[in-house]
Amino acid sequence: MENTSVKEPMVHTGSTNPVNSAFASHFAKSMFLTVSGLVILSFVATRMFTHVDLNLYGYMVGTVVFLAGFFYRFISWGERPPTKILIKKGLKLLFRRSTLKTSVEHLATYRFIWNRGVYRWTQHLLIGWGCVLAILVTFPLVFGWMYFTMEESGYYTIVALGMNVMTVPADGIIAFLSYNALNISAIMVIAGVCMALYRRLKNMQARAEQTFMYDFMPLYLLLFVSITGLLLTFINVFLHGNGHYVMSLIHQYSVIVTLIYLPFGKLAHIPFRPVSVFARNYREHYGKESMKECKVCGTEFVSTEQSNDVINVLGQNDLEFDMKDGFNLAELCLPCRRKYRISKFSGFATHEVPIKEANQDAKG
Amino acid sequence: MTKRRLFLELENCIGCRSCLAACTQCGGHEQRNRNYVYDVNPLVNRQTMPLMCLHCVDPACARSCPAQAIQIHETGAVLSALTEKCIGCQNCTIACPYGIPKFDEEQNLMYKCDLCIDRTKDDIPPMCASVCPSNTLQWLTEEEIEEKQQRHDLGNDKWVTSMPYLEGETNVKINLPGILEGTTKLF
Ligand code: SF4
Ligand code: SF4
Repeated sequence: MENTSVKEPMVHTGSTNPVNSAFASHFAKSMFLTVSGLVILSFVATRMFTHVDLNLYGYMVGTVVFLAGFFYRFISWGERPPTKILIKKGLKLLFRRSTLKTSVEHLATYRFIWNRGVYRWTQHLLIGWGCVLAILVTFPLVFGWMYFTMEESGYYTIVALGMNVMTVPADGIIAFLSYNALNISAIMVIAGVCMALYRRLKNMQARAEQTFMYDFMPLYLLLFVSITGLLLTFINVFLHGNGHYVMSLIHQYSVIVTLIYLPFGKLAHIPFRPVSVFARNYREHYGKESMKECKVCGTEFVSTEQSNDVINVLGQNDLEFDMKDGFNLAELCLPCRRKYRISKFSGFATHEVPIKEANQDAKG
Repeated sequence: MTKRRLFLELENCIGCRSCLAACTQCGGHEQRNRNYVYDVNPLVNRQTMPLMCLHCVDPACARSCPAQAIQIHETGAVLSALTEKCIGCQNCTIACPYGIPKFDEEQNLMYKCDLCIDRTKDDIPPMCASVCPSNTLQWLTEEEIEEKQQRHDLGNDKWVTSMPYLEGETNVKINLPGILEGTTKLF
């Protein structure tokens, strides 16, 4: 993308905790703990590595590379002052009663995207849930957390984390859904990506702003992964497995490339998005605690906590908006802040005239 | 390619609100305007002045955004929130010293002036400057802005394009009304 983000001064947090000082950095620690966790889970789930599917080896490498990229991005992101505050307070407020509802609306049903348009919601639902479904199936298979055995002819046993979960008839509906889960998810993703591509080609609003690397690349990657995945099924069913090996390699590489790309481009919003739940909790909780009144008109416009946090974050970036009139600009409600600026331009105290701002929506 | 800037000559404003209407029509603006027009002294006279994002060189909005949703274009324009990144915390609206970013509760999304980046990246004036009938909003080269400065320079430090009367260095330049400068306009 041609845009460059704001350069941030790095804030290093020295740590005296003995566990933390065993590692050179947050990055090393997160990496070590996660990879150990993965190995232990796989060890247990595969009954001490006796049920490892080595065809899936490429994905393991891909996952580890993805984790490295993810932690690298996440940690440098989390060190920015505003992010740090939000994550810290968000974690504290995680167990509010509304968390579940907000999470479902933000992360599962995408209500806010519905409000941006039904078309965009549909494409996002198809792509989002297609990917989630694929991940939920693929990763447990890769790390051996889930596999199928056929102990009795005609019946599959689904083994999850080393325990037999259920036995289903091989031609039954559950079995059908299980081994077609990836095909279904591929079709969902392809449909969603096609909708998204169509919108990007036709919609003038989208065309004005999009760039290849940022907006098209992730769509092509997802399309490539889904099509090569579906071709695997096609080869098995119609070509008696001819070319299966080559295609499975191509598919593996496409997945690995996507995983490596994921923490950096547009797809990075997938791992970062849950923070929107933090943001909602933060606003709701502190909003109930105490609201800030505008220093000019007295309207309550933001929580006291957030107002202070913003002033603090700006201070860390050497931005001080303390006025001679005895307030910080972050203590004025938005209309008063705009009128205050007009007063600076004109020399007349517009913000002190108790009249609502008129006609700001260009509707005549 | 000459790089031009938005320049505001505030007292020319006649309050027609063409700039608001034009803003709604820009690519990526989804029919919503992101600029403002204010009555300076609404109970007494009809003088109006426009206000829009001044595209700060060190933007408070982007600094305060936990999601890095506000990007700065290479032209210096401070862009509207990236739809997939904005997490709806509204820090930016509290941080901006001029109260510019708008927030849509339903869509959980901030939106603000992006200086019509699809136009200005190719040095085409933004929508507001394209339609302004009174020369309040202008799209000028550095030299032209410099020249305006000379014409208004009274040698008494009263010339104020942008600094020090704003909260920081901005990419959009502004003049003070001539009446405050103690001069009548020489059009
Ligand atoms: S004027 Fe406000 S919205 Fe515009 S760049 Fe500066 S801080 Fe951001
Ligand atoms: S509302 Fe969106 S753009 Fe504004 S600070 Fe929060 S995340 Fe950033």
